[in-house]
Amino acid sequence: MATFAPLPTASRSVSAPPALCFQDVVHHYGRHLALDGLTFEVARGQTIALLGPNGAGKSTTISLLLGLLRTQTGSVQVLATTPQEAVASGRVGAMLQTGSGSGLPPGVRVDTTLRLVRKLYPRPAPFEVTVERAGIAALLSRQTNRLSGGQAQRVRFALAIAGDPELIFLDEPTAAMDVVGRRSFWEMIRQFGEEGRTIVFATHHLQEADRVADRIVVVNHGRVVADGPSAMLKAAVATKRIRLFCETPDECLFDSLDGVTDVAVRGCAVVLDSLDADATVRDLVSRNVAFRDLEVSCAGLEDAFVALTSKARDRRQEAGR
Amino acid sequence: MRPLVAFARFEVGRLLSSWKFLIITIGFPVIFYMLFLGDRRPGEMIAGTVTWRVYLMVSMCSFGALVAALTAAGARLSGERSSGWARQLRVTPLPAWSYVVTKVVASMLVMLPVIGLVEIVGVGFGGVHLGLQTWLELTGLLWVTALPFAMLGVFIGFMVHAETAFPVVTGLMFVLGYFGGLFNPVSSMPRALQVAAHSLPSFHHASLGLGLLDRQGFAIEDWLVLAGYTLALGLAIVLRHRSEETRGIA
Repeated sequence: MATFAPLPTASRSVSAPPALCFQDVVHHYGRHLALDGLTFEVARGQTIALLGPNGAGKSTTISLLLGLLRTQTGSVQVLATTPQEAVASGRVGAMLQTGSGSGLPPGVRVDTTLRLVRKLYPRPAPFEVTVERAGIAALLSRQTNRLSGGQAQRVRFALAIAGDPELIFLDEPTAAMDVVGRRSFWEMIRQFGEEGRTIVFATHHLQEADRVADRIVVVNHGRVVADGPSAMLKAAVATKRIRLFCETPDECLFDSLDGVTDVAVRGCAVVLDSLDADATVRDLVSRNVAFRDLEVSCAGLEDAFVALTSKARDRRQEAGR
Repeated sequence: MRPLVAFARFEVGRLLSSWKFLIITIGFPVIFYMLFLGDRRPGEMIAGTVTWRVYLMVSMCSFGALVAALTAAGARLSGERSSGWARQLRVTPLPAWSYVVTKVVASMLVMLPVIGLVEIVGVGFGGVHLGLQTWLELTGLLWVTALPFAMLGVFIGFMVHAETAFPVVTGLMFVLGYFGGLFNPVSSMPRALQVAAHSLPSFHHASLGLGLLDRQGFAIEDWLVLAGYTLALGLAIVLRHRSEETRGIA
């Protein structure tokens, strides 16, 4: 079975303080509970993805990390200090969600905006370096309100890295980009992270999280429901779904088949989740199980994601009993 | 200090480079002066020893300051908050208060040329004659006491979404202008409206300027009302800012 459980505490680095530390954070908006005891740590130099469906608490998490929201209960530490301090000292960069807006000042040239933002930081990266990294050389003389969604996103990335931050937050950074734009954007991020910087990004695209992050923290209902290296997610994603019909289904038998991680029986219909569909089918034949209409399909990324989040919730409910 | 200076320069540069905005801001009070001057005999005494040409000039200075504040701070701030730029600035080392203070200062800076231009039109088109010292006193007084307008602009910018900013700003401009007696002397209004005018900052702002020219001495009421608006709006802005830190910015 693909385990995707929280990392054991032993794997945490003891020497250097973590870049980021969330401890039992609870956050309410009025009566609505957005974060329900969120706890996780990010070591320096890691690239992590905060993955979760819309409304899972990702944006609240990012807002707390950046000091845009005040912590209600629990503790949030960024670079061994408060989020407000970390931002004020210029060690943090961020690319926020902007909804329908561009996130840029209207009626100003791109280069003017970038020069301003550089001056707000105590130790900015050289102008040319930022321009090249974000790939915005061709956009410098453009007005910010004449940029396409993807171009504006690149400019906002330039603003996020202009101050040469140790830690960067990206909230759904590729929301307005097409497939090609996404690929080149993540290539930029990867290069940026290779210099020992810590990168935290929120997304609801599993593939992005999988491709870019060293580690994935899955958040749902304001809690960490799974946390581990992306290889583990890959295993979960590798799940195949086998459907077949059987006149006298024996659930225990199906569960014992090679590769099977999950069994669902409804009347004659059987659905098996398997990490190795070939082995499962071979085992099925060798045990002389009478079946018909066998069908193998990919469980799909979204299914795997749903499985991850719902399994973790079930586990929690069981533990709570 | 460096971030604050850089941001202030950026803001002023932006204001000066947006011609459309400047033309509208300056155009409104100047055109209104020319339009309304013919409503009465320019030499008619309106308030004490103040003639209609002077009364209207002072009123249009007030109106111009109001327009400048509501558009420079109000409408733009609201646009920047809706576009996400204000939020982006919040995650830089620029202190949150300096964003607000810069907006107030920038809209004060825009008011000065607006007031000056209305005065020039008052001389050239309206035939107003005042001594040099009186001009300087009047300009300085009208400028400094326009602070509550700048606060109102920032407050509106915080409260109103970009989509509704235009009607709200335009509505406020005309409500404060008309009921504050800037288009028409309050003394010619019905009794109830006269009473209402005394609660508006626009009325008291113009009234301070007129008091200076009439040599009646400063009405303490004018100063108190304007100071009250400044403090109340300042407090409202701070509270709004605080509540955003607990609720998150919509």
